[in-house]
Amino acid sequence: MSNPRVTGAIRYAQDVEFEGMLHASILRSPYPHARILRVDASAVPDSVVVLTPDDIRDFGSYGCQIQDQTVLPRDRVRFVGDPVLAVAAPTKREADEALNLIDVEYERLPGVFDAVEAVAEGAPLVHEHHAISENDAAYFGIRPQEGTNICHRFRIRHGDMEEGFKQADVVVEETYRTPGAQHAAMEPHASVARWQDGRLEVWTGTQTPFNLRMDLAGIFNIPESQIRIISPPMGGAFGAKTFVRTEAIAACLAQKAGRPVKVVLSRYEEWLTLNRHPATLQVKLGARADGTLVAKRVVCWVDTGAYADCGPGVAQKMGYAAVGPYRIPQVWVDSLCVYTNLPPNGAFRGYGAMQAVWASERTMDILAAKLGMDPLELRLKNVLVDGDQFCTGEIMHDVHFIECLHAAAGTIGWADNKQGKGLCVLMKGMQTPSRASIVVEANDDGSYTVHCATAEMGQGAWHSIRLMAAELLGVELEKVHYAEPDTDIVPYDTRTTSSRSTYMMGRALVEAVRDLKRKGELGYGECVNKGGLDPDTGQGIASTHWHQGAAAAEVRVDEETGKFQVLKLYTSIYAGRVVNRPGAELQNEGSMIMGLGTTLFEEIAFEDGQPANANLSDYNLPAAGDLPESFTSDLFEREGAEVHGLGETALPPVPPAIGNALYSLGIHVTDLPLSAEKVLNAIDSRQQAKGGRA
Amino acid sequence: MSRNIPQWLAPTSLQEALALRAQLGDEATVVAGGTFIGILMNQKIMQPQALLSLRNVSELAFIEASQDEGSLLRIGAMTTHRAVERSPLIRQEWPVLASTFSLVASPRVRNQATVGGVLADADYASDPPTLLQALNARVVVRSQKSEREIPVEELIIGYYETSLRPDELLVEVRVPRNRERVVYRKFRSRSSEDRPCVAVAAAQVDGKLRVVVGAVAEKPQYFPEICALAEGETGGYTRELVTEIGQRYAESIEPISDSRGSAAYRRRVIAVEVRRALEEMVP
Ligand SMILES: Cc1cc2nc3c(=O)[nH]c(=O)nc-3n(C[C@H](O)[C@H](O)[C@H](O)COP(=O)(O)OP(=O)(O)OC[C@H]3O[C@@H](n4cnc5c(N)ncnc54)[C@H](O)[C@@H]3O)c2cc1C
Repeated sequence: MSNPRVTGAIRYAQDVEFEGMLHASILRSPYPHARILRVDASAVPDSVVVLTPDDIRDFGSYGCQIQDQTVLPRDRVRFVGDPVLAVAAPTKREADEALNLIDVEYERLPGVFDAVEAVAEGAPLVHEHHAISENDAAYFGIRPQEGTNICHRFRIRHGDMEEGFKQADVVVEETYRTPGAQHAAMEPHASVARWQDGRLEVWTGTQTPFNLRMDLAGIFNIPESQIRIISPPMGGAFGAKTFVRTEAIAACLAQKAGRPVKVVLSRYEEWLTLNRHPATLQVKLGARADGTLVAKRVVCWVDTGAYADCGPGVAQKMGYAAVGPYRIPQVWVDSLCVYTNLPPNGAFRGYGAMQAVWASERTMDILAAKLGMDPLELRLKNVLVDGDQFCTGEIMHDVHFIECLHAAAGTIGWADNKQGKGLCVLMKGMQTPSRASIVVEANDDGSYTVHCATAEMGQGAWHSIRLMAAELLGVELEKVHYAEPDTDIVPYDTRTTSSRSTYMMGRALVEAVRDLKRKGELGYGECVNKGGLDPDTGQGIASTHWHQGAAAAEVRVDEETGKFQVLKLYTSIYAGRVVNRPGAELQNEGSMIMGLGTTLFEEIAFEDGQPANANLSDYNLPAAGDLPESFTSDLFEREGAEVHGLGETALPPVPPAIGNALYSLGIHVTDLPLSAEKVLNAIDSRQQAKGGRA
Repeated sequence: MSRNIPQWLAPTSLQEALALRAQLGDEATVVAGGTFIGILMNQKIMQPQALLSLRNVSELAFIEASQDEGSLLRIGAMTTHRAVERSPLIRQEWPVLASTFSLVASPRVRNQATVGGVLADADYASDPPTLLQALNARVVVRSQKSEREIPVEELIIGYYETSLRPDELLVEVRVPRNRERVVYRKFRSRSSEDRPCVAVAAAQVDGKLRVVVGAVAEKPQYFPEICALAEGETGGYTRELVTEIGQRYAESIEPISDSRGSAAYRRRVIAVEVRRALEEMVP
C-alpha cells in the first residue's frame, strides 16, 4: 500500500481550496513593545479586505489558559511579530503588496526579554492587568501575581524544606539555563476559514480542535455548535499546532470579506508564532553522607513570552518534573510563569520536562561527585519504586526506572569505565485530568469507521488506533477506516498532546467496541482520567500514568577546540505494551534527534527582542551527519501492562546524559546548548581549578 | 507603489548574456543556481526588478584540463558543486578540490549551487574560496568589450563584495595543477551541514607555503610574511614552527563574532586549526 505522505496524496490544510477564496497576509509589529498611535490603510485598494483593530473591538479575548489575547492587539503590541493588521486579497502576492501600503505609527515602550529580569522590581509590565482564565484548557487554578509579570505561580510544599537541609551532610546548588527553540515542523501553520449561513467552518492543522472551537466561540460570542473545526493530517506539529494560531485571523477576515480566507505562514513567521519556553532553574539538593536524598529546593523562571498560551501548564509540569523520580522527604518548589516581550512560547515536545530534567539530572551528577559516589548508585539508591510516594503525595504504580537505568548503563559499558559517559533518568507526566471519547461505526460492507478527534501529525496515531480497533473487532486492518477529525461528527477529546492518544483513545476504544458489539451499528466509548494538582501546595494527582525512561551517552572531546562528538546515544523507554513497533521506534528516534539538536546547537537568538536567527540557515537543526554512530533505543514491555504514551519520552533525557558525559571529564556546563565555545570555556575553568589546587 | 514580479531574462548564449549585462548593468541581478539569491529574496533583503539567469548558458558548464599552459584545470562558472565533487578528472588530479566542494551544505544545495555563484556571492562563511585562494586560482571575468583574469584574492574584496563591474560576468575559474600535498580543514562549531566557523587551506605553490584562513573575517585571510617562516624547511616542519605559524595567524587576524563563535573563540581555533593543517600537510 502506498503511503499518502510519501506519494503527496495527503490533503493538508493549506491544500484546501474554495471558489472565490482570498489569501491573507499579516502586518506584524517591528518593535518588541510599543503603543499603536495610528493605523492608516487608506492607500490599500478596494480589492483587498483589511482587518483593523477597530473591527475586532467587540470581539472577545482568547487564550487557552489565560484570556490575555485579542485577535489583533487593540492598542499595544507586545513582541516583534505581534499582528497589527491583517489583509486578504485574491492572491498572496496582492496581499503581501497591500502590507506595504499601510502606515502605522508607534510609540516605543521599554521591553523586558528575560524571565528573571521580568520579575525584578521595576520591570516594565507586559500586561497592565492580569486577564481572566475560564477555559477548558485551564485545568488547574491559575495564580497570577497582581502588579507583576508573573501570570501563574505553581508551588510544591511537601514536608519541611529547611528542616531537611539541616539533616544534609552534603548540599549542592546550581543555576541552569535553557534557551528558546523552534518546533520547525516541515508544514508551516495553515488554515482556511469560511462562514456558511452564520456558521463558521475552519480547516486547520491543529492538535486541539475542541479547544480551538471553544476559543473561537468566545471570540465571536456564538455557541460552540455554530463552529465546525476540521483537522486534516499535519506535516509535523511537535506542540506548535495547539490552540489558536492562525484561525482567529482567518475567521475574522472571512467574516469581513464574506468569502473563504486562507492563511499560510512563512518560515520566518513560524518563529513569531510559537517557540519553546526559555527557562532558568535554580536547584538546591541535599543528601546524607551515604547518598540518601533529604531535601530539594527548586525555583523555575518560565518565560512564556508576550501571551500566556499554555505557559501556566508548562510551569506546573516543569515544577514537579524538576523534583525528579526520587524519594525526597522535604521538597519546596516555586515555578513562575512569566511574561516577557518575546514571541509567545508554548507546548513543545516534552512540555517543560526537558528544561526540568536538564537541571535536575545534572545536579544529581554534581552531588554524586561531591559525595564521591557512582552517579548510577546514587540514582538507584533514591529512585522511586512501586508503592513510593512522590512529592505530590500520590503513590507510584507500574514503576520501571531501575530497569531503564540498568539498560542504559549496560549499553555504554558503565561498569568497566565511566570516562566520557553519562546517564539520565526521566519521569514525565501525562495531561491530567483529561477525557477521550470515540465512536466506532459498523458500515454496510462489513467494514468499520472510527470517529475521534485524535489528530494525525506524522506520529502515526491514526494507524495505531486502526491497529487497536482491528484487533478488538477481530478484522483485518483494511476493514478499519479512520475519518478526519471533524468537530461536527467526532465526540469530545481533550487534545492530541502529552503522548496521551494511544493510551486514552485506546482505552475508550475498548469501551466503544464493547458497546458496538452490544448495539450493532454504533458503539461509543469514553475514558476519563481524574486528578490534578493544587496550585499552592502541589499536592494531588499530577498524572494518572507516567512516562518513564533513561538515557546514556558517550562523548569524545577535542580539548583544544571544545568541539565534541557524541559517539553513542541510547534511550530505554517503558512502553507497557507496544501497539505499533516500527511507529514506536520512530517516535524514539525522532525524540532523540530533537534532543540532540537541543543539546548541541538549537537556540533562538534575540537581540533586544528582535529574533536574530529566524531562518533555517542561521538556526541549525540536526542533520543526518550529526547522528552518533551508535544510536539505539529499547522499548520495554510487561505482560498484561497497559499502553504507555511514548511520543516525547526519549527527548528530555538526551541533554543531561550528554551533559553528564562531559561532566565525567570535569567539563561542567550549565547552560544549553552545549556549544563548542562553552565547552572550551569549561575546559579552561577545569584547568584553572586544577591549577588552583596544585 | 506596488512591486512587480521581477522580469526573468534567460539568455541561451554567453554573448547574449553579456549583451544584457552591458545593457542593464545593476538593473538586472545575475542568478546562477539561485541558492544565495533565493534566500535574500525570500527574506525580502533583496527585491530585484529583473533577474538574469545563466541557467541556459550551457557553454559555462564545463570541466577541462589543458595540458599546455602548465596543466591548468578550467571550471566553467555554471558548473555545480556536485559536478566538481563527482568529476573523475578532479577527483584524480585535484582531489582536495573535489573533497572541499563535497563539504559544502547538503547534496540538495550542491546540486544547485555553482562555482561562479560561490565566488561571486563573496559570502565570508564559504569553503571553496579559501581553498581556491590557497591554490593560487584565478578567475576569468568577461564583459562585452573585455576579458580579464584576476587572482581570487582580487575578486573577493569585502563582505559580500567583489571587484566585478556591473557589465561583467565571472565565466571561469583556473586552478594550477598542484603536485604537492594540499590540505583543507573545515571546522564546524555546530551541525555537520553548517557553514564553517573557521576554514583553513594550506598548500605549497611554486615551492612556497600558502596558508589561507576563511570564514573568520570579511574575506579569506592570507599572510605571506608569516608563511615565509617556513621557507627553506625541506623535509618537514617542526612542531615549534607549525605552532608559531598558527599563533601568528591567530594574532594577525581580527576575527568576527557570529552565531558560530565569538571573536575570542575563533582566535583560539585559528591557532589550533592552522597548526593541524600544517601537521597534516607534512606528516
Ligand atoms: C542551506 C545552505 C547551506 C550552505 N552551506 C554552505 C557551506 O557549508 N559552505 C559554503 O561554502 N557555502 C555554503 N552555502 C552557500 C552556497 O554555496 C552558495 O549559496 C552557492 O554556492 C551560491 O551559488 P549559486 O549558483 O546558487 O549562486 P546564486 O544564488 O545564483 O548567485 C550568488 C551571487 O553571485 C552572483 N553570480 C552568480 N553567478 C555569477 C556569475 N557567473 N557572474 C557574476 N555574478 C554571478 C549572483 O548575482 C549573486 O549575487 C550554503 C547555502 C545554503 C542555501
